[in-house]
Amino acid sequence: MIEYVIKVKRKIKPIYSDPWVWKMAWRDARHNFSRLFLFVGSLITGIAAVVAIASLNYSLQADLDRNAKELLGADIVVGANRQFEPEVLAVLDSSKLEYASDAEMASMVMFMHNKQSRLVRVMGIDGPYPFYGEVETLPPNAYPEIFKGRNAILDETLASQYEVSSDDSIKIGNIYFKVAGVVQKIPGGGGVLSTFTPSVYIGMNELDSTGLIQFGSRISYKRFYKTETDAAAEEIGEKWRPTLRRYGHWYDTVQERKEELGNGFQSVYRFFTLLAFMALILGCIGVASSVHIYAREKRDEVAVLRCIGSSGWQAFNIFFIQVFVLGVLGSIIGAALGMGIQQLVPVLFSGSIPIELQFDLSWRAVYEGLFLGIVVSILFTALPLVAVRFVPPLTVLRADFNPGRIFSKTKWVVIGFIILFPILAAWYQTQSLIYGLTFSMGLAVALGCLSLVALALLVLVRKYFPKKSGFIFRHALSNLFRPNNQTQVLMVSIGLGAFIIATLNVIQYSLLDQVEFTGNENQSNTILFDIQPTQKDGVVDLIKTHNLPVNQVVPIITCRISELKGRPIDVYQKDTTDNIPNWALTREYRVTYRDSLHISEEMLEGELQHLKKGQRDSVWVSISEGMQESLDVKIGDSLVFDVQGVPIPAKISGVRKVEWPKDPPNFIFVFPTGVLEYAPQIWVAATRVDDQQDANRFTQELVTEFPNVSLIDLRLILSTVNELFGKIAMVVRFLAFFSIITGLVVLAAAVMNSKFVRIKENILLRTIGARTKQLTRITLIEYSYLGLFSALTGIILSLISGWFLAHFFFQVNFSINVVDMASIGIVVMALTVIIGWFNSREVINTPPLQVLRKEN
Amino acid sequence: MPETVLQAENLSKIYKSGNKELVVLDEVSFSAEQGTSLSIIGPSGSGKTTLLGLCAGLDVPSSGTISLMGFKLNKMSEDDRAYVRNQFVGFVFQNFQLLSTLTALENVMIPMELRGEKNVEPKATELLDRVGLADRMHHYPSQLSGGEQQRVAMARAFINSPKILFADEPTGNLDEETADHVTNLLFSLNQEEKTTLVLVTHNLELAKKTERVLQMKGGKIIEEKYLKVVI
Repeated sequence: MIEYVIKVKRKIKPIYSDPWVWKMAWRDARHNFSRLFLFVGSLITGIAAVVAIASLNYSLQADLDRNAKELLGADIVVGANRQFEPEVLAVLDSSKLEYASDAEMASMVMFMHNKQSRLVRVMGIDGPYPFYGEVETLPPNAYPEIFKGRNAILDETLASQYEVSSDDSIKIGNIYFKVAGVVQKIPGGGGVLSTFTPSVYIGMNELDSTGLIQFGSRISYKRFYKTETDAAAEEIGEKWRPTLRRYGHWYDTVQERKEELGNGFQSVYRFFTLLAFMALILGCIGVASSVHIYAREKRDEVAVLRCIGSSGWQAFNIFFIQVFVLGVLGSIIGAALGMGIQQLVPVLFSGSIPIELQFDLSWRAVYEGLFLGIVVSILFTALPLVAVRFVPPLTVLRADFNPGRIFSKTKWVVIGFIILFPILAAWYQTQSLIYGLTFSMGLAVALGCLSLVALALLVLVRKYFPKKSGFIFRHALSNLFRPNNQTQVLMVSIGLGAFIIATLNVIQYSLLDQVEFTGNENQSNTILFDIQPTQKDGVVDLIKTHNLPVNQVVPIITCRISELKGRPIDVYQKDTTDNIPNWALTREYRVTYRDSLHISEEMLEGELQHLKKGQRDSVWVSISEGMQESLDVKIGDSLVFDVQGVPIPAKISGVRKVEWPKDPPNFIFVFPTGVLEYAPQIWVAATRVDDQQDANRFTQELVTEFPNVSLIDLRLILSTVNELFGKIAMVVRFLAFFSIITGLVVLAAAVMNSKFVRIKENILLRTIGARTKQLTRITLIEYSYLGLFSALTGIILSLISGWFLAHFFFQVNFSINVVDMASIGIVVMALTVIIGWFNSREVINTPPLQVLRKEN
Repeated sequence: MPETVLQAENLSKIYKSGNKELVVLDEVSFSAEQGTSLSIIGPSGSGKTTLLGLCAGLDVPSSGTISLMGFKLNKMSEDDRAYVRNQFVGFVFQNFQLLSTLTALENVMIPMELRGEKNVEPKATELLDRVGLADRMHHYPSQLSGGEQQRVAMARAFINSPKILFADEPTGNLDEETADHVTNLLFSLNQEEKTTLVLVTHNLELAKKTERVLQMKGGKIIEEKYLKVVI
């Protein structure tokens, strides 16, 4: 009887101990090196983005730790929106700690050398502030001068804006101050804050002499304490908390400030990480897509190898080694690039961060980037390469042989890891599984939406194909649908960059448009506040003298809430079960009185504020929509206002919807007339000034005649918002550019992948008479289409997301700048055409005969 | 008595397309002994390439058994069949099937390298010398003519001293003069190495050079002829 063998006993060599697969990988790769390297080009950009952002974050955290005490300038700071009450002072003084103090308020300052005025934050300082860090000034010894008489120092932004130099003088209130110097850095100050409200620093004792402190002036007071240890600061804070909370004051320790700032940066970091991560994922998709085509092209070679005895795993390993090694190389290059970029970021960030940062290199970020790159190389190349294992050797005899669908356990395991990958990565970075899941969902939704828009565009183009257009245009368009062209992947990756930039633009424009409410005719763009009752008529006359409209003159009364729905506020403060925020309970409210709705208001429910004469609980006030939710009140609920010590019981009559930016000032609570007329009050006037010279003349006269009256120029806010956006936008655009670069690298890879098909097409076209000029035009038009569709993909989605963000998140009117959108589209198109054409030169310029010989 | 290298029994290959069945090979049986040569001829679609693929373990039959050097190929996994091919089989194809990224020498060395053998370059060099390509060893396939590529393929087929050589239209892509040269080389190497040769061809002249001819039609062997071989 003949015996047969049906199972071969042989040693299966793992990848690391099978020299043949390494040798074959090298032999095969040496001819494809440039092409393979392009595959990982997109990985390089992704890793660079991730490393740059992570490294920035780690060094930022390290710098925060190093400079934490400079954030406050003290160990503990206590603050209040009014002077500290005797009971509070008694508690504070019982600590017997050394302290410094400041008082700050908004006021107009006039620069005497050019007679221009501006609203600034005037800070009166007393005592040995700061305990930590230094006030850096120019000249260096300027800070002590403010304690030696009527000297002031100014924030650098303010000094440069108004071209103030040392020895110039400024007028604050009724007093002239000599400018002793310019503040370059002050603990706890500067940064973004100084962009909005630049500061002028004077001695505390001089603040009183300015005459600015009048009834109704909004002044906040702070005390800075130095403790022996950080723990002591925390302990004292806890001890003071009940008293401070009762009076609605606050305190801050170094640790808390660090956390707050850290959290703020963390949010920004998370956002940037998302962008960088998306660039990386796009790169991965690009890599996977390219490797998929690469593996398909290698099918014949694999069949031959299988035929002469290679196992499926050996064939897989050959190509896996190639892409893996290049992936590692790409990760190293990406990490190095990321470190280089991180050194550039401080330049972009300068002026936006309140402390001086050193931006050291973070090796942790580098290791993480390398690890991430290696994981990504394995996951995203393994998936397309799995198919190599199942190439049937019969293909050598029948090129079109298709073995049908083969189930691969490896493939599903890899898919499982790919799904887990972003979740685990985000989990690691944020230490939160929920955030990891949300992050991944967001990622999937963003990429899914982009893919859908890209697909929809392609379907539309196919459906409404311009059959009657010229040959060159038709041919270029149909080239987009060439098999293996990766058009959709390219549209998504290039489109993502366009999407980020366009969304940013939509939000910026919508917000600016909101501020530009002031651009609408008849709406106020200049607000005058802190007008004393005795000054009201004079200010109104001044407005009229300058032929300016008096849009509003409204009284403002400051008050607090002492009882809500029948319960005293301190009961709410002790009650941990309610959801009413403490700030809403203890804050100072600035209310007005009138019997009508303002143009920015609309009644949502209930009735207008009114007075029921002769009745108990006769005062019915209206409340704004947002605060009604915060205070959790409904129509008919009672509350007691403490108006300068006088309790005024009231009930909620109705809820108003308020368009806050429209024709300010607007109010949370509005009383009916007949209640607060005799309460201590200040007045606010609103007018509209269109001409800058008129504005200057008016401001100058106002500051001279009424030095305590402050003026807010809403147009100045507009330019400030613009400036701030400029800084943020630069960083975001920088990152979005990564995404576009990734897309362009994928594009270059795709062009190389389809080179052979393109060459064959060109031969055919040349054979039937096409000239080089025509082939060039076809290529350029094809990439113009691709660029256009990619830009459209991003822009369409940005308009949708921009609308949602504007409507629901920022709660402003959606608005776009068509010129900006068109510019984004043109730049993306131009970049796509340049990269596409650059990589297609060989295809266009290769003579047909040479190509035919090559093909044979 | 010569050893049976290849034994095919009742081999059938049926492809299913929806409800329809296409019988490409229908109950084919034959065997080949050590050192003999046989050719399979027949019109296009007669099933000769399918038969070659099954015999070489490149595919599995729908029914029937196939044993090669005592290994029952139809019961083995793809990787095990690859092992058998590497140990006992050589291939020559119509379109040469050289790896374009490897030089002629590297292409020839692969089967031995796959076995894990070291120092294979001298043997590969010697074989390339025997096929007249000593001065073209470091050229890539794209730098070689069709005849030269086929000679590299033959050197590769013989480097592992195969027990059986499968050749699929080995001269199909060559001009007459080159085809003659390649044919002579193929048969002389076959004789020297005492390899069993299984040849699929349309070329009757080429088929006549083998000891045995199997004529196929409609997936069946319709005639078997023993010839007196004159080389």
